[in-house]
Amino acid sequence: MSPEFLALIMFLVTIAALILGFPVALTLGGSALIFAFIGDYLELFNTGMLMVYPLRIFGVMKNEPLVAVPLFIFMGVMLEKSNLAGELLEAMGRMFGQLNGGLGISVLLVGAMLAASTGIVGATVVTMGLMSMPVMLRAGYSPSLASGLICSSGTLGQIIPPSIVLVLLGDILQGANEQAAELKGELVPVPVTAIDLFAGALIPGFILVGMYIAWQVFMAFFKPESCPPMSASDDGEKPDYRLLLRAVLPPLALIIIVLGSILAGIATPTESAAVGAVGASFLAWTRGSFNLDIIRAVSRETTKISSMVFIILIGASMFSLVFRGFGGDTVIEEFLTKLPGGRFSALLLVMVIMFFLGFFLDFIEIIFVVVPIVGPVLISMGYDPLWLGVMIGVNLQTSFLTPPFGFALFYLRGVAPPEVRTSQIYAGVLPFIGIQVAALALFWAVPSIVTWLPGIIFN
Amino acid sequence: MRGARRIGPLVFRDRSGHSRRGRDVKLLSAVVHAIDWLNERVGRAVSWLTVLMVINVFIVVVLRYTLSVGWIWMQELYVWSHATVFLLGAGYTLLHEGHVRIDLIYREASQRYKAIINILGSLILGGPLIYLIFDRSLPMISRSWDSLEKSAEAGGMPGLFVFKSVVAVFAVLFGLQLLALFLRSVETLLGADDGPEYLDTEDQEGGI
Repeated sequence: MSPEFLALIMFLVTIAALILGFPVALTLGGSALIFAFIGDYLELFNTGMLMVYPLRIFGVMKNEPLVAVPLFIFMGVMLEKSNLAGELLEAMGRMFGQLNGGLGISVLLVGAMLAASTGIVGATVVTMGLMSMPVMLRAGYSPSLASGLICSSGTLGQIIPPSIVLVLLGDILQGANEQAAELKGELVPVPVTAIDLFAGALIPGFILVGMYIAWQVFMAFFKPESCPPMSASDDGEKPDYRLLLRAVLPPLALIIIVLGSILAGIATPTESAAVGAVGASFLAWTRGSFNLDIIRAVSRETTKISSMVFIILIGASMFSLVFRGFGGDTVIEEFLTKLPGGRFSALLLVMVIMFFLGFFLDFIEIIFVVVPIVGPVLISMGYDPLWLGVMIGVNLQTSFLTPPFGFALFYLRGVAPPEVRTSQIYAGVLPFIGIQVAALALFWAVPSIVTWLPGIIFN
Repeated sequence: MRGARRIGPLVFRDRSGHSRRGRDVKLLSAVVHAIDWLNERVGRAVSWLTVLMVINVFIVVVLRYTLSVGWIWMQELYVWSHATVFLLGAGYTLLHEGHVRIDLIYREASQRYKAIINILGSLILGGPLIYLIFDRSLPMISRSWDSLEKSAEAGGMPGLFVFKSVVAVFAVLFGLQLLALFLRSVETLLGADDGPEYLDTEDQEGGI
């Protein structure tokens, strides 16, 4: 048996083991460890290589850019626990709710803006579902349209900056980028940072939101009964613009400060995440909900989510250590470079595989496990790492929406009222999947949609 | 540790009232409860570090952009706090089922299935991995203690040896919580349907 073959088996067995349901971090690291010992027994691997593992862990421990992750989580949880997102939705619903489809547009905007960017698809969809599904159903929205709106905006929130998915992706892509430079025989790679990714994801994010809104407007014109205005009895008051401003301006200002300071090159993601966390706490304070209880709740939630993320990173680094030890990365490289159709088919294949992996694995796992393996090859083929990162993000988001396995659908099913049928949820996301695929094709055909903004900001 | 007792929002159900399988089971529950208690305390304590991190980074930002001053040790302080949170909070996170699982099958599965997965997983996957981390990190840590290693950066933090030791403490705390998961699952499998599970009232709202 060749070591490369063992690497392939290890990959498949690990995916199978993950589906059984033991915590991801331990499954990734544990199954790799078993294969390391099998390989050692077959004299295909030297377990002495595992001596570097503590150094890898230590590398994660002193990685400064990753500190942005817990700080963004802190900000997101603070915004959620102080019910700022809820108030925002209420105010916008009051504003636009008198129009056909107005409530739907509010849900899209709030979801894209505030869907707390914790990197966990399920959590975001659950929050959005609990917050907006009952309101939309009460207003008489068709369950399928409501489901589609929630799933699409909830998953989009994951890749719209500031997002921890992008921070993690930036870290992994930078590593992949350095390896790609090695493959190409270059000395100094052009660095890729989370900042570049934030800038790169901004316009595609806006385009996607725009396309979602266009679909909602289309429905409002041609199928107005699916998205009626909120009834007067539900909300007799006229739209109160002062209230709207009070609800919309502060979170909007916070997002602009956080993103703006990163994109203007004033602050690193870590720094602006801290400003965001302080800002979110300040907003909670202005609403009178900032107290010891909320700090305690937010800090514990932050601890749990960030521990979850980084222990997976530690498990995944064991996985890639062993995978590389078997020479699995060279197999992938040879396979992808020899594909007929050149780099186009290589990327297409990777995207299709990621799409299907997205049925089983969340953003974080795919970023930590798959991107380090395929990233260097694709980048050395000449793909822009930044563009690649955004394409991966949108592709995975599509995967999470796709029936029957899409993550978002499962989680929405879990919180949607029983009278919403699963088939209605599936039907509701279909147009949004169409939008996603169209957008992916667009970004593929016109890469400058992604690379233009980072280019003018940083050059 | 007897009777129902409360630790903050955690309600433990102890079954010292039922003495069906005598002392062994009681001892097991006592071990599980002791581990839960330990990680609950540690997790709550390190959670405060997230608040300190926010303040720490914020101060760094303010100092840099208003007075144009900055110290390496301040930067290291928040990086170290961050690592301490996710490492020492790992056992706490496991206690609260915070380590994400692919729940395609797991979510709908029976208690028995879950128990079997957790037993096999902690024996075959988790246990060896944690042991390896503990075992292979000891040389790195002991070398660091020998020289009472400091940060390599000029003006960095002292006590790098303490920071490196966090890896071993992580392995112990996380390993213990994995043991608790294992023991709890064994009890479930043995049919102790009123086993020493805990009701976690804190996490009912479904995360973020």
